[in-house]
Amino acid sequence: MKRIQVNLNKDQIQKLALSTIGFFVLVYVYFSFFLGPLNNSRETAEAQIAEFQDKVAGAKNEMSKAANLEKQADASTKRFAALKALSPEGAPIAWFPPRIKAFFANQEIDKATARIETSVAFKEADLANWMRYNWAIELPQADFSTLGKAVAALENAEPLLAITRISIKALPEAPQFQQVTLTASTAMVKR
Amino acid sequence: MALHLNLLHEEILQQRQRQRDPLKIGMMVLGALGAVMLVYYLWNAYKVLEIRNRLDQAQHDWAKVEPKVTSAQKRSAELNGIISTTKVLDGIIDSRFFWGPFLEKLSRCVALNAQLSSIDGNVLDDGKINIVIEGLAAGREPRAAAEELRQLLLEQLGQSSYSQVKVEFKSLEDLDTIVNIGGSNMAMSRFAINATFATTAAKPSATPGPRVKTRGEPKS
Repeated sequence: MKRIQVNLNKDQIQKLALSTIGFFVLVYVYFSFFLGPLNNSRETAEAQIAEFQDKVAGAKNEMSKAANLEKQADASTKRFAALKALSPEGAPIAWFPPRIKAFFANQEIDKATARIETSVAFKEADLANWMRYNWAIELPQADFSTLGKAVAALENAEPLLAITRISIKALPEAPQFQQVTLTASTAMVKR
Repeated sequence: MALHLNLLHEEILQQRQRQRDPLKIGMMVLGALGAVMLVYYLWNAYKVLEIRNRLDQAQHDWAKVEPKVTSAQKRSAELNGIISTTKVLDGIIDSRFFWGPFLEKLSRCVALNAQLSSIDGNVLDDGKINIVIEGLAAGREPRAAAEELRQLLLEQLGQSSYSQVKVEFKSLEDLDTIVNIGGSNMAMSRFAINATFATTAAKPSATPGPRVKTRGEPKS
């Protein structure tokens, strides 16, 4: 192989060095100020696209889950609405005693009175919008058979009412009648 | 062989030197390299533009979907709340003790020669039911009449879905009073019966039915 002899003078060496420096400057400028930012921008955009696509996919999944839940919760929603409808607007003390009085009057037990004893919030987090009211219901004169039917009807008509105490005492002056005190607790929507 | 004289030797040498000028060659190489880099850069820029368009499209899709998914999430949370609240309320409803069936059973136990003067019933915190029944029993053997009532009550409560049934006398004492029942004089005794039972095994048959509107009830 023929060896190429290159004799460069001082001026040529300087120019060669200048060209080399120019090359490195060009490469540096190209990668730092042009290709680098462009690649960064592309990577950022691709990451954002992936993020949006994930979000959209997740959103579609979430929406289909919500639609399924809507179907599944149909019974619960109706039941919840029915239970909520048992608590009319207004303070319970305004509507509960008349309701009880009317109920027992319908059951042929007159002079029923209901008075509030206590009201407390439920401990359960799910019942944050509900309150427990304790009532004393007094029936000054009722015969046992009518009372039994009325109590059963009350328990059936008021699913959120639980009788926690019952006291039946015979009236000495009218042995066919009893004096009854019921302690009942009800769950009602907070108003 | 003809003699060839090169009179322009100096000029040709200078021309060759100019052609071999490293700076010029370097600039040409740099120019070529720069052109390649520019093409590569433009190609990349084109691809980035394409990606930006895809990003815009994805943003547009998300902007369309976001309000829907936000409302779906809200609705899901609301429905989950409704479901769990209904479950808890159903638990409260199912764990109630129904007094109606109990009073019916009690009424079946009281014979003609017995009279109840008071009934006190309590639902205890542990779900057990405690009932104190006071009354009078009459008969040739008034204590036996009271015992008959106790045993009937134990039998009635044991037959139903109650568990851990206990019916015990709290007190039983003879009275001096004589009572006339069906034309015959009978001795009397006063009794107090304490009945306890649990309802955890199963629920009585009475279940909450559809709500009946009652007279004078405020409209909800």
